[in-house]
Amino acid sequence: MTRRDDTTRILISEEAAQRLARVVSRRTFLAMTGGVAAAAALAACGSDEKSSDSSSSGSDTSSAESTASPSTGDSSTGGDFDKTINMYTWAEYDDLDLLKSWGDIKLTIFNSNEEAIQKLVQGGGSSGFDMVVPTGAYIPQLVAAGLLKEIDKTRIPNFSNLDAAYINQSWDPDNKHSVCKNWGSTGWIYDTTVVTTEIKTWSDFIAAAQGEASGLTSILDTAPNLCGMYFWANGIPWTTEKKADLDACEDFLVNEFASHIKAFDSYPGINLTAGSYALSMVWNGDARQGLIGVEESGGDTNQYKWGLGAPETELWMDNWCILEEAKNVDAAYDFINFILDPANSVKDLQFHGYNTGIKGVEELTGDVPFKDMIFFTPDEVARLRAGTVNSGQDRLVEIYSNVKAKAGG
Amino acid sequence: MTATVGATASGPPLQKFRLRWPKFALAIPSFIWYVFLFVVPVVLVLVNSFGTKVTGTPGKVDLSSPTLERYREVVDGSFRTVLKQTMETSILGTVLCLVISLPVAYFLAFKVGPKAKVVVLALLMVPFFTNYLLRTLAWKIVLQPKGFVSNLLQDSHWFTLGQTLRDGPIQILDSRSAVQLAIVYNYLPLMIFPLWVALDRVELHLREASKDLGAGRIRTFLQVTMPLAMPGIVAGLVLVFVPLSGDYVTAKLLGGVKGNMIGAAVAEQYFNAQNAASGSAIAVSLIISILLVLAVVAGVAWFAKRLLAANRKVTVPER
Repeated sequence: MTRRDDTTRILISEEAAQRLARVVSRRTFLAMTGGVAAAAALAACGSDEKSSDSSSSGSDTSSAESTASPSTGDSSTGGDFDKTINMYTWAEYDDLDLLKSWGDIKLTIFNSNEEAIQKLVQGGGSSGFDMVVPTGAYIPQLVAAGLLKEIDKTRIPNFSNLDAAYINQSWDPDNKHSVCKNWGSTGWIYDTTVVTTEIKTWSDFIAAAQGEASGLTSILDTAPNLCGMYFWANGIPWTTEKKADLDACEDFLVNEFASHIKAFDSYPGINLTAGSYALSMVWNGDARQGLIGVEESGGDTNQYKWGLGAPETELWMDNWCILEEAKNVDAAYDFINFILDPANSVKDLQFHGYNTGIKGVEELTGDVPFKDMIFFTPDEVARLRAGTVNSGQDRLVEIYSNVKAKAGG
Repeated sequence: MTATVGATASGPPLQKFRLRWPKFALAIPSFIWYVFLFVVPVVLVLVNSFGTKVTGTPGKVDLSSPTLERYREVVDGSFRTVLKQTMETSILGTVLCLVISLPVAYFLAFKVGPKAKVVVLALLMVPFFTNYLLRTLAWKIVLQPKGFVSNLLQDSHWFTLGQTLRDGPIQILDSRSAVQLAIVYNYLPLMIFPLWVALDRVELHLREASKDLGAGRIRTFLQVTMPLAMPGIVAGLVLVFVPLSGDYVTAKLLGGVKGNMIGAAVAEQYFNAQNAASGSAIAVSLIISILLVLAVVAGVAWFAKRLLAANRKVTVPER
């Protein structure tokens, strides 16, 4: 028998000694494995309180404030409450310093409205979130599923700071369930060293994707945007429900366009410095963040060119909503009121680069880089078309899955 | 019997009153775990796969008229291409893992001294215990067209005497090669460890005997070491192939459109299309495909074994 005591000396053949050493090291391996696993388990336990959604891939949790103890709301806004909110929102969408100056907000990220709704429904009213930030067109679906609380506007004095153009939208008349966070649009950004002809319209975009930028093009990872590109280029309303339009769209995208796509990426802007794409369909704020990133890393921003979609393009609006299951409703109201304060709204805007819809926000913003990418000219605004979720939605998703499969083949 | 020692003279032996648990009692916790976290969800997925999406709802499934339509969509539609590619990537990935792991495991089992072994094992294990997502993201940084590898290859001042190895940036990211590369890297330890344990168990005596009886190094390896290590090889193959086929993160992060895998398609159906019926049908198809591949491989292996046994001059008793 072996003994691990070093003081015991055994006289055995060399081969036997080798074998003995192997037995010992197999045991050492198990011990090491156990040790590392135990350490990992301990580490996981330690972080449990912060990450409620760590298991699902694609989700990412981060906390605006992890160490300081939550501050308490002042009595003027309706009694004592913890200034803590669990928010379900998009990536790179909030200025963490600004959130921290209000209180403790934990952010969990979703990648699409559909994903957010699906997870909230599956949670069955116990997903643990207080607020969600969906796009306007999806609000009727959320309301129908009974997920949103009706908003009491008397508890948000700063609601009156919003420009009339951004309240009372068709998908939520009288702002019963939502308050505008910010709105934006879709365009393109391209590397002029690869794409040498100027892109002025979605038709040019498609031509460049099929030509100079073939295999180097990224498209926003949502079905309406992919199909929207075709509709906008061909003068068809992107909310079309006509079978002929949808069939023609599928035929073109699957058979003529799919093979030129490199990736579906909803954030090509913030990845601009990686140099993965020569041409990207991109949201204006993300493109702006990308250009700022290029500037900060010492690159030449003149190499890239941004353009807002033409002759028509998307208009979307993302909104603050309070969930029916919210545990901290007081804090949610307090936060919405806080963020609608013009000074705070401007800070938020300077981070994400989307128009927050506050009266006179353009003047308040002052001098910031790439300001033309945040505030559009009246000509540009005239090109914007709001989206909707209608009977065409399932078909759009089907087209999008088929394009994905075809592109990979 | 010593159990009666504790009993007093007046009382009966304690042993009589001891509750006798049935032998499977110890298995109850794992049984419950299995039923609720594996059997029930899989059955639900199976049931949903025969349903139809209720339009306009987030993922509700109408089961009033069971249909095979979802499976027809998988077979006829675009998902078949993705499923086929996934199987190709998985099979190639598993074979690559085996080819790379075998020498490593052999080296670790027979050639490394006991002290160095701890170091080698640590080198293998530390990355393995690093978060999977982190390891995959690291590849994204390495493979970027403007990353350091790409820049190095385009640099003419470094080690290549004024020559550049490449004219333009590398374009590996967002392709099937990127997924293949990262997948082999990620699953390699799952192959090395079972192989090493299996090889480690091979008695030195048997290898010595083989050499004494005149077999060379190669013949000893092929006819003694390998057959004895077979259980480990099989375990490694299954351990790598099954999770690899369902991998979703790698494809999502590194694959772009070209490297799409079926796991990502399932997630897409559940979350973007809000179509739990279709997602379930794809998931079931994936399970069937995996079982099919395993069955074919097992069949071929069994046949090969029979063929070898038939042609062998000396009968070796099975262990």
